[in-house]
Amino acid sequence: MPKAIVFVNNVFEVVYASDLWIHTFELDNRTVFGNDLFSLSTTFDQNWKKGLKRCISGKTGIPLVTNSSDSKSGNTWIEWTFVPWYDEHENIIGAIMQGDDISLRVRDELRMERLQILLHEKSEIGKIGSWEYDIQNNTLAWSLMTKAIHEVAHDYMPTLESAICFYKQGHDRNKIAMCVDNAIRKGIPWHERLRIVTKNGDEKWVIAAGKAIIKNKQVVGLLGTFQDINEHIRREIKTNENERLLKTLIDNLPINIYIKDTESRKILVNKSESDFVGFAKTDDLLGKTDFDIYDEETANMSRNEDLEVMNTLRPLLGKTDTCIKKDGTKAFISVSKIPYLDDKNEVKGIIGMSLDITDKLLAQQEREEKERNFRSIFNSSYQFTGILDIDGTFLEINETALKFANLRQADIIDKKFWDAYWWPIPDVVKDGLKELIKAAAGGQVMRSEIVVLDHEKRPTNVDFSLKPIYDETNQIVSLLAEGRMINEMVVAREKLRESELKFRTLYELSPVSFILFDFETGEIIDFNPSFEQTSGYDKEAIAKIQYWDLLANKDVQLKEQINSTLEKERSCGPLEETYIKKDGTEFSVIIYKSLILNKKGQKLVWSIVQDVSESVKKERQIREERKLLRTVIDNLPLNVYIKDTESRKILVNKSECDYLGITNQEELIGLDDFDLYDDDVAQVSRDEDLKVMSTRQPMLGKETLNIKTDGSHTTFLTSKIPLKNEIGEITGLLGISLDITGLKHKEEELRHLINMTSLQNKKLINFAHIVSHNLRSHTANFSMLLDFLMHEKDENEKVRIIKMLTDASDNLLDTLDNLNEVVAISTNVNLEKQRVNLNEKIKSVEQNLQGFILNNNASIINTISDDVFVNVVPVYIESILLNFITNAVKYHAPERNPVIKLSVTHEDTYSVLSIEDNGLGIDLEKHGDKIFGMYKTFHTNKDARGIGLYISKNQIEAMNGKVTVQSKVNKGTTFKIYFNDRN
Amino acid sequence: MTEINSIFVIDDDSIMVFGIKKILSSVVICDAIKTFGNGQLALDAILEILRKKEEIPDIIFLDINMPIMDGWQFLEEFIALPIQKKVRINIVTSSIDNYDRENWQKYKLKTHHTLTYNNKPIGREIMAEVTKAA
Repeated sequence: MPKAIVFVNNVFEVVYASDLWIHTFELDNRTVFGNDLFSLSTTFDQNWKKGLKRCISGKTGIPLVTNSSDSKSGNTWIEWTFVPWYDEHENIIGAIMQGDDISLRVRDELRMERLQILLHEKSEIGKIGSWEYDIQNNTLAWSLMTKAIHEVAHDYMPTLESAICFYKQGHDRNKIAMCVDNAIRKGIPWHERLRIVTKNGDEKWVIAAGKAIIKNKQVVGLLGTFQDINEHIRREIKTNENERLLKTLIDNLPINIYIKDTESRKILVNKSESDFVGFAKTDDLLGKTDFDIYDEETANMSRNEDLEVMNTLRPLLGKTDTCIKKDGTKAFISVSKIPYLDDKNEVKGIIGMSLDITDKLLAQQEREEKERNFRSIFNSSYQFTGILDIDGTFLEINETALKFANLRQADIIDKKFWDAYWWPIPDVVKDGLKELIKAAAGGQVMRSEIVVLDHEKRPTNVDFSLKPIYDETNQIVSLLAEGRMINEMVVAREKLRESELKFRTLYELSPVSFILFDFETGEIIDFNPSFEQTSGYDKEAIAKIQYWDLLANKDVQLKEQINSTLEKERSCGPLEETYIKKDGTEFSVIIYKSLILNKKGQKLVWSIVQDVSESVKKERQIREERKLLRTVIDNLPLNVYIKDTESRKILVNKSECDYLGITNQEELIGLDDFDLYDDDVAQVSRDEDLKVMSTRQPMLGKETLNIKTDGSHTTFLTSKIPLKNEIGEITGLLGISLDITGLKHKEEELRHLINMTSLQNKKLINFAHIVSHNLRSHTANFSMLLDFLMHEKDENEKVRIIKMLTDASDNLLDTLDNLNEVVAISTNVNLEKQRVNLNEKIKSVEQNLQGFILNNNASIINTISDDVFVNVVPVYIESILLNFITNAVKYHAPERNPVIKLSVTHEDTYSVLSIEDNGLGIDLEKHGDKIFGMYKTFHTNKDARGIGLYISKNQIEAMNGKVTVQSKVNKGTTFKIYFNDRN
Repeated sequence: MTEINSIFVIDDDSIMVFGIKKILSSVVICDAIKTFGNGQLALDAILEILRKKEEIPDIIFLDINMPIMDGWQFLEEFIALPIQKKVRINIVTSSIDNYDRENWQKYKLKTHHTLTYNNKPIGREIMAEVTKAA
C-alpha cells in the first residue's frame, strides 16, 4: 500500500519523499529533494515546524490532519504522524513524517457527531434520554439526558440493577423488570408509561422504551429511550381532577348554574337548577328553553336578557327577576348571565347563574317592614328617645328630640350624652350625667325631672329616664334615654281647667236646661239656673221630687224603653216631651240624655232640656202665615212662580196652573220652560232668568210673549226678581206675570184707529190745500178781471172782459162740482162693502162705453174667470172701472189701436186687478208722485181734467185697498188695483 | 216806461195770461211777449233760442200748477242751462201752500237768476217792481 512518507534532516531539508506524498501536496513538477520543507508549500505552517522540532528533539509529535478535496474522491482527510529518524547509533538525524488517509474514519466520525448533535437536541426538547446495555460486559450506559431525568450526576455509572431500582416500588418496578427480562430472553421490545423515583426522591412519570440488539441471532444488548413525561401526565391528571371537582362543585353549589346555546336552549345545568325548576334529573332539562319551564312573561323576559347578553357581550350581573313557573308558583331570583364564548371568541350562548332569593327577599321585606315600623314609632313618638351605648355615646336619636333642639342626626350621633346641646349648664350637670349613665349601665333604671333647653334656649321641664337594654344573653348592650315634656302636660292641664270653666259658664248661663239625676232612683242631683227659671223649681222644691215627676207623660213602658236605650247606647235623643212646671202648667221640650258613671260607679244621667214651647208656638204662627200667603198668592190675578237656578219651577200659584191648564200644582214642580213652551220662547225666558240671576238685578214689567206648546199666544207683563239665601247666594228667582193679551189687543186696535185717523187727517189737509188753491185761482181771476173792468174805458174791451168773467164763473162751478164729488167719497167712509162678481161689473162698464170703444177701435181682452168676487162698494167699482178703462182708451198711442188687458191675481189678503194698455205711457221718473194727484194732467189732451185718477184712488183707499202703476213712455201703462178681501 | 226786449209768460190759465199781458202793457214797452201753456213748451222755445244763439228773454212769468211740466220742473231744467245772462223769473201762483214758498227760497239760492214769488192776482205796482232789470 503506497504511503505518503517524507524524510527530512535536522534542518528540515527533504531527504526522501514518496510519490504519494509528493502527489498529495501537489509537488509533482517541482524539485523536492534537498529543498527546505517549509519552502515547498504554505500548508507546512508553524504547527508542522513545531511538530517536526518536537520530533527532532526526541519527543513524540502531535499528529496533524490535513484536508484536501478533489472532484474524484471528494474530501480526503490525512493524518500526519511525526516519528524521529534515528541512525544506526540511535542519533536523531531527522524526522519521518507519515500520512495515513483517514477520510473514511473522519467521515464516519462526522456523521456520528452530527447524529449525536441531532439526538442531543431532540432529547433536549422532548426530554428524551437514551441508554445502552451490553449483556456480555454487563455494562449500562446512560445518556446525559437520561442522567438528568434521574437527577444523577454526569459521572454516575448505572448498572442494570440500580437502574431498575429507580422505578417506583411495586407495579412500576415489577413491570420494568419483566420487560427487561422478556427483551433479553425473547427479544420483545417494550414501551411503557411508568413512574420512577429520582435520586432526589421525586416521583416522575416516564416513558421507558427498549429493544434488544441482536447479533448473529443472539441478543447481545439492549438499546432504549427514556422520556420524562411527568409534566404532561400531571397536567392530564390535573385536568381530569379539575373536571371532576368542578362537576362536583357545580352540582353541590347552592346556586343554579346553566349554560344555554344561542337559541337559549339549556345545554348544561346543575342539580340546583334542575331542583329549582322541578326536574328530577339534570339531563331532562337539556334542550329545554325557558318557555318550557316558565310562564310566557317570565320566559320572554329571560330570552330578552339572553339576547341582550349575547348581542352586547356585556354580562348581566345580579339582576333581581321575578319568575313565575308554569304551575303558577312565583319566585324571586338574582340572576347573572355572562356570554359563553368558544376558542375563537365566537358567541356560543350564555352562562347563567341564578340564586333563589325568594325567602331572602321576603325575609328582607319583613325585616324592612319591622325596621320601618320601629322607625316610625321611634320618630313619631312625642317623647325624646335616644339610644346610647353603655359609655354614654349616642347610637340613635329620634326626630322629636332633633326637632326640639333644632339639630341634625350628625350633630348627635357618636357624641357623648353629656355633651349634648340641651343641658343648661353643661359643666355642672356633666358629672351628674356621667354618674347616671354609669348607674344605668350597671342595671339601674334612672328617672328624674330635669330642665333642658329647646332650640331657642327656653328651659323646658322634662321627665327624664334612663333604662338599660339587655340582649338575649342578659347582657346590658345599650341604654334607652327617654324624655317626656312635662310642659305639654301642664299646658294640657291648663286647657282642661279652661274648658271646665267654659263648660261651667255654659252650664250656668245657657238658656238650655241641664239636669243631672240618678238613673236608678230618679233623684235630681244637679241642675242649672236655666232649669230653675223655666220650671220654677228651686233647690228645696226639687229635692222633694223625682226626675220622672217632671214628665207629663207617665207611660211606664216609654220610660223603660228610654232607659234601656240609654243603658245600651249611653245616650238618646232628641226626644219630644212635655214637662210640668212647678205651677202645674206644661211646656214642650226637646231632650237629649246621656248616661255617665261617676267614680263610685253610680249611674247618672245628664238630661239636656231645650224649652221649645216658644218655637212650637212660632212654628204654628209661621204655618198660618204661610197658609195665608199661599191663599193670597193663589188668589192673585197674576201668575206667580219661583224657579231654582236651573229655571225649574219650585213653586207656582193657581193662576199659573190655570194658565197652563193644570189642576194639580205638584205637576208643574220641577218642570222648566222648555217643557211648557215653544223652544224659542223658552230660550228667551231662560236667557232672562240667567241675566237676572247673574246680574242680581230684577227685571221689571217687561212685555213678553209666551207661546204654549199648543201654539196659543199670550202676552205677559213679566217681572223677575232674583232670590237670595241668608248668605247672599242666588238660589233662583221669583217670577210674576200679568196676562195683558186682552189689553194688548185693545191697544193694537187703538193704534190702528190712530193710524187711520192720522191718515184721514192728512188727506183732509191735502184736500183743503187743493180746495183753497183751486178756489183761489178762480177768485184771483175774478178779482183781476173786475179790476180791469173798473178801469177800462174801451167798450169793446169791456165786453171782452165780461165774457172772460163768465168763463171764469163756469170754471169755478166745474171745480166746485169736482170737489163735491171728492168730498162725497171722503164723507161716505162707511159705505157698505158687498161681494160683487167682478166680470159682471166689467161687462156693465163695457156696455156703457160701447160707442166710445168702437169709435177708438179699441179691444178689451178679459182673462178674469167668472167666479172671481171682490169685496167692494158697488158704486165705486163701477166708477173705478169706468175711469181706468176710459183713460186706457183716451191716452192711446195715435199710431196703434188701443188694446186693454184685464186679469186678476191674489196677493195676501188682496185680489189684484191688472189693467194693462198699450197707450202713450207716462214718464214715471218725472211724474210718478203726481199721477194720482188732483188736477194733475200729463198730456195735452183737451179732455184731461186731472181729477179722474184722484177720485179713483180715493175710492180704492176708502175700501181699504191700494193702487200702483207701472208705465213706459210710448209702450203702455199697467195699473194694479188691490181690493181688500177683508172687511 | 221801461223798455224790455223779450218777455215769456208761462201759464195754462188763459185768463191769467190775458191779465198779465194787459198789466204789462201799462208798465213796460215790449214788442216780444210770448206765452206758453206749460213748462215743456217754454223750455223747448228756450232751447231753440240757445241753439240759434238768439236772445234769451229778460223776464219770465212762471205759473206753478200746469200740466205736462209744472213751474218747478221748468225751473229745475232752466237753471241748469248754460245761460250767462241774469234773467228775472217771476213766479206767479194762486197757491198759498207753504211748500211752494219754501221751494222758491230753495231755488233762489241755487241760481244766479233773479227769482221773485208773487201771488195772483198781480197788481200794477207789483208789476212795475218785477219788470225792473234783473
